[in-house]
Amino acid sequence: MNLFIFFMLTAMFILLLPIIMSNTQLYKNNLYPHYVKTTISYAFTISMIPAMMFVSSGQETIVSNWHWLSIQTLKLSLSFKLDYFSIIFIPVALFVTWSIMEFSMWYMHTDPYINRFFKYLLMFLITMMILVTANNLFQLFIGWEGVGIMSFLLIGWWYGRADANTAALQAILYNRIGDVGFITAMAWFLANMNAWDFQQIFITQHENLNIPLLGLLLAATGKSAQFGLHPWLPSAMEGPTPVSALLHSSTMVVAGVFLLIRFYPLMEHNKTMQTLTLCLGAITTLFTAICALTQNDIKKIVAFSTSSQLGLMIVTIGVNQPHLAFLHICTHAFFKAMLFMCSGSIIHSLNDEQDIRKMGGLYKPMPFTTSSLIIGSLALTGMPFLTGFYSKDLIIETANTSYTNAWALLVTLIATSLTAAYSTRIMFFALLGQPRFNSLSPINENNPHLINSIKRLLIGSIFAGYLISHNIPPTTIPQMTMPHYLKLTALAVTITGFILALELNLAAKNLKFKYPSNLFKFSNLLGYFPIVMHRLPSTMSLTMSQKSASMLLDMIWLENVLPKSISHFQMKMSTTVSNQKGLVKLYFLSFMITLTLSLLLLSFHE
Amino acid sequence: MSMVYVNMFLAFIMSLMGLLMYRSHLMSSLLCLEGMMLSLFIMMTVTILNNHFTLANMTPIILLVFAACEAALGLSLLVMVSNTYGTDYVQNLNLLQC
Repeated sequence: MNLFIFFMLTAMFILLLPIIMSNTQLYKNNLYPHYVKTTISYAFTISMIPAMMFVSSGQETIVSNWHWLSIQTLKLSLSFKLDYFSIIFIPVALFVTWSIMEFSMWYMHTDPYINRFFKYLLMFLITMMILVTANNLFQLFIGWEGVGIMSFLLIGWWYGRADANTAALQAILYNRIGDVGFITAMAWFLANMNAWDFQQIFITQHENLNIPLLGLLLAATGKSAQFGLHPWLPSAMEGPTPVSALLHSSTMVVAGVFLLIRFYPLMEHNKTMQTLTLCLGAITTLFTAICALTQNDIKKIVAFSTSSQLGLMIVTIGVNQPHLAFLHICTHAFFKAMLFMCSGSIIHSLNDEQDIRKMGGLYKPMPFTTSSLIIGSLALTGMPFLTGFYSKDLIIETANTSYTNAWALLVTLIATSLTAAYSTRIMFFALLGQPRFNSLSPINENNPHLINSIKRLLIGSIFAGYLISHNIPPTTIPQMTMPHYLKLTALAVTITGFILALELNLAAKNLKFKYPSNLFKFSNLLGYFPIVMHRLPSTMSLTMSQKSASMLLDMIWLENVLPKSISHFQMKMSTTVSNQKGLVKLYFLSFMITLTLSLLLLSFHE
Repeated sequence: MSMVYVNMFLAFIMSLMGLLMYRSHLMSSLLCLEGMMLSLFIMMTVTILNNHFTLANMTPIILLVFAACEAALGLSLLVMVSNTYGTDYVQNLNLLQC
């Protein structure tokens, strides 16, 4: 009997304390952000203890505290599942959140509602923790909806801006469509397996699990912005940068992937679902990488990069490697959050300038941000032995050597090279060259909050991959032997992407093109997807319902079907068929002459 | 043939001539149609009553019903023409247009 459960539950309870304190005087003074940040750092330290216990002994726990209610034969209780996935994810998430909280103490310093901002971020973190430690689908759904609500509140933080409100609403709507899939899965599990607990679901044998798995895939599509339900993620960049760093890169958007990873015992026997997942992830990663190539807002490029990496995680689940996907979630959190924080640093220093065409030459004035941006981008693209390498390269190797869909594999490789291309684009436009911004903004990065937070994530981006992947218990055996050209595939396509992008950027640096080409327009307008899909289905359904409500009964059935159609038809027919000229009197005269003539002729017959 | 029948037959012929030869108004043609119907009715009634065709006693009434229907049809055509042209002159019907 060790203190595993105690430490874990203490860590989570500590997170609740600032929320409980929000009615007291503590919430009103300006040390509250500091308090929240320290709380999270303590929670991180305490949660590292169970993590190290797990690493050394492989102990997993399920904590079932409180029996909430029983609905006939369904028992709902408060139940925490502290297994491989939760125990490793919680310290990573807390570490990244700690850095983001410290960063937002600098970024949101002049905001009058900064205490509320921190409270919202903390509530988001708590609901995310509920999501990852849930042992039954009901608790997971509570966390799922909670992160959705907090996302809405945080994206619309600057609610005076109309774009922010529409972006928040868009996030809620797209997530709702995914929730339909989630509830389908819950209903199916309830009806067929009489349980929402993972243990019972995984034990019960069922021949055809397509319906709930499709529902879960739809839920992941909604929450993790896969193709078809993806436009909310770039629009969510309307929120403040700490929100983008926490929610829409490290934590919330991986909730969908996390859900699919949780259900891996069901998915590993269902080839159809794996193919679907693979193709969905492949098309997402390629499409969003293409869209990222021509965006001009630095946060949008990083948002599309997140979307592309999420597609890569879904591809990994599709090749039946959930543990690798989880590793990629953990490593991705580090460098993606850092990329967002560096973007925030640049944006603030240039007086809220987000367009990369108006940045440039930040290499000398902001050396720390420059170096962390470059290291983050290199980690993202999978530079050997940085963080991203340990997960991304393994994913590509596994996909290359498995019996999988060749199109999906090819598309993933192309997307990997495009990752390098748009990362080069960010670095080229934001950091290199001559400055293109107004010269009067004071550029400095000498605030310790900024420096320390980015520094922590920097250390994480360099070393976390090594540390995590060498300390986790082995789960699936990675492919050890493969031909050398397969082994070097990821590196080769990445280097190709880098070189190509650098050459193109340098060659076209001062060229201006008059008319954008069709491919450019496709990429810049996000594949025309939001333009078409936000207007066309709604217009069509509203028009159709208006027409059927007002015109169907009255105009069509009562007026047009019999009366007008008969008259119209008759008129058409008569004008088509008749070849008469309307000389009525002549016709009558011919009657009479015929009559008289015949009478006369016939009466004088013998 | 007795004089009664010749008389009514002549009435019929007169109305027929009136139907087939008229100057401009369509209404005069319709009126002559009514005249034809009238003479037919009288001829039929007199024949049936004189020859005691008892079972054919309802035939004149049926003839009257059908005459009414065709009069209505003729009048509706007249109204259509009059709606379009304002008058019922038959020389207006020279275009193949509704």
